[in-house]
Amino acid sequence: MARRKRSPLSIAACAAAWSGYVFLALPSVIIIPMSFGNSDELIFPPRSFSLYLYEKYLLESNWMAATAESLEVALGTAALSLLLGVSAAYGLSRAEFLAKRLITMFLLSPAFVPAIVLALGLYLYLGAGHVSGTTVGLIISHTVVAVPFVIVTSMAGLRHVDQRLEIAAAVMGARRFLIIRRITLPLLAPSVLAATLFAFLISFDEVVISYFIAGVRTQTLPVKMYSAIHWEISPVLAAVSTLLTLLSLGICLAVALLRRGR
Amino acid sequence: MAYHLKGSTTTPRRRDNPVVFVVPAALFMAGAFLLPLLMVLYTSVGGNALTLAHYAELVSRPLYAIVLWNTLQISAFSTLATVLVAYPIAYHLARQPPRRRALLLILVLLPFWTSILVKSFAFTVLLGQDGALNQIVTALFGDGARIKLLFNRPAVLIGMTHYLVPFAVFSILASLLAQDPDLRRAAEIMGAGRWRIFLAITLPLSMPGVLASALLSMILSMGMFVTPALLGGRADLMISNLVDFHVRETLDWGAASALAACLIVVTGIFAVLLSRIRPGQLLGREI
Repeated sequence: MARRKRSPLSIAACAAAWSGYVFLALPSVIIIPMSFGNSDELIFPPRSFSLYLYEKYLLESNWMAATAESLEVALGTAALSLLLGVSAAYGLSRAEFLAKRLITMFLLSPAFVPAIVLALGLYLYLGAGHVSGTTVGLIISHTVVAVPFVIVTSMAGLRHVDQRLEIAAAVMGARRFLIIRRITLPLLAPSVLAATLFAFLISFDEVVISYFIAGVRTQTLPVKMYSAIHWEISPVLAAVSTLLTLLSLGICLAVALLRRGR
Repeated sequence: MAYHLKGSTTTPRRRDNPVVFVVPAALFMAGAFLLPLLMVLYTSVGGNALTLAHYAELVSRPLYAIVLWNTLQISAFSTLATVLVAYPIAYHLARQPPRRRALLLILVLLPFWTSILVKSFAFTVLLGQDGALNQIVTALFGDGARIKLLFNRPAVLIGMTHYLVPFAVFSILASLLAQDPDLRRAAEIMGAGRWRIFLAITLPLSMPGVLASALLSMILSMGMFVTPALLGGRADLMISNLVDFHVRETLDWGAASALAACLIVVTGIFAVLLSRIRPGQLLGREI
């Protein structure tokens, strides 16, 4: 570790790695300056800088309506997937039962089923139950996708919760719900918070399923963005994209801080 | 120390089994995930009619063969590109001290958590006729050198690779970090050069991670929808886009479902293979 002679290999590896980082950062690097452009056409780099596109985004009622819908759905999804996911993670890591591996796989499998398949399934299924096109339908669908993430994040957190504390409390006569409320959950709080943020972001960015099941009145922000890229490439997209990138960055940093506190 | 407690892996009182905590999620998934999937299978066989007509159509019409071939080709190429881009990043990250690694990891995590629409939009701006890249090209070589970069196969591959790289980095990084540093140190003491150490120790030991990342990339890219729809041209349709086409344009739910069923089977095979290599780590996204 200490002595470092720069061999050709490590220089080449370094160069390749940094090209990779640049490639990964490229979209954000392009989007952010564009969003401060002054005109209705997309030119990179922009000729002059202003907040024109942000103003346009904030004043246009259908962009605002889509944002409000996304916010509502994402909050609902975060709440529901948290309830289901944290509870499932607790059960999976504290109980022994038949076919545990199989059930774990089942609960995590939505992460591996292509979004389009889920989208079609939910479209047919919710359509049959007349839930298609409603906010509730969107929340249910997004929760299916978010729960695996909540389970994995919470299970990782539960591994760090010292079980001897739970056992000690039980030996002293505390009932399970008291133990969960006073010991497990407080110790698990950083992971639960991280999981909530993830679930929120997954729902806020989800596009394929929403594109299939959202109605005219429940168009979410990603659905609106999808049609905006597909049909018109409106410059407002640069402002929306920058805001979404900032949201992702904020959540990334928040989670990194939560992890460090553990 | 307290090893007298070691036997009780199931916490407190045994009479209230914590398995009940799994029940709500299991019921929810049965209702909102399993049933919709079964609905797809049911629709693909024509409902109660129980015919294989939709599947027969998949085999007989050349359009489907072309789209299936597109899907496999695009997925394979973007998987290859992904591994080639991701490996140096993972290798670089693995050699950093933990604090610096955590910082650099943000460069991978940010695109991972960035909306695919934001990325697709950025690439349309970057690769378009008057996009940033073409401006550089025309500034250097004149107007005649303008290249068509959008709505074609390269654009789809670039977009897909960008989407897949973070997944692959996590998976390869995990297998690099799991290696025993003493192996490398021993080789170094015995006089092996860096290349030799890399080729004889680091690379072979990281192969499970590479393989896992390749399988994950295949799973994710086979079902890709947004990237080919927004960055590709008519010749770059993938299975997902055809499903969408049938639902929206021809209203042929049977054909859409048969296609989706094929997609489940193909990605399912890859997922089973993945779970063989990385049983405990199926969800490679957690880091």
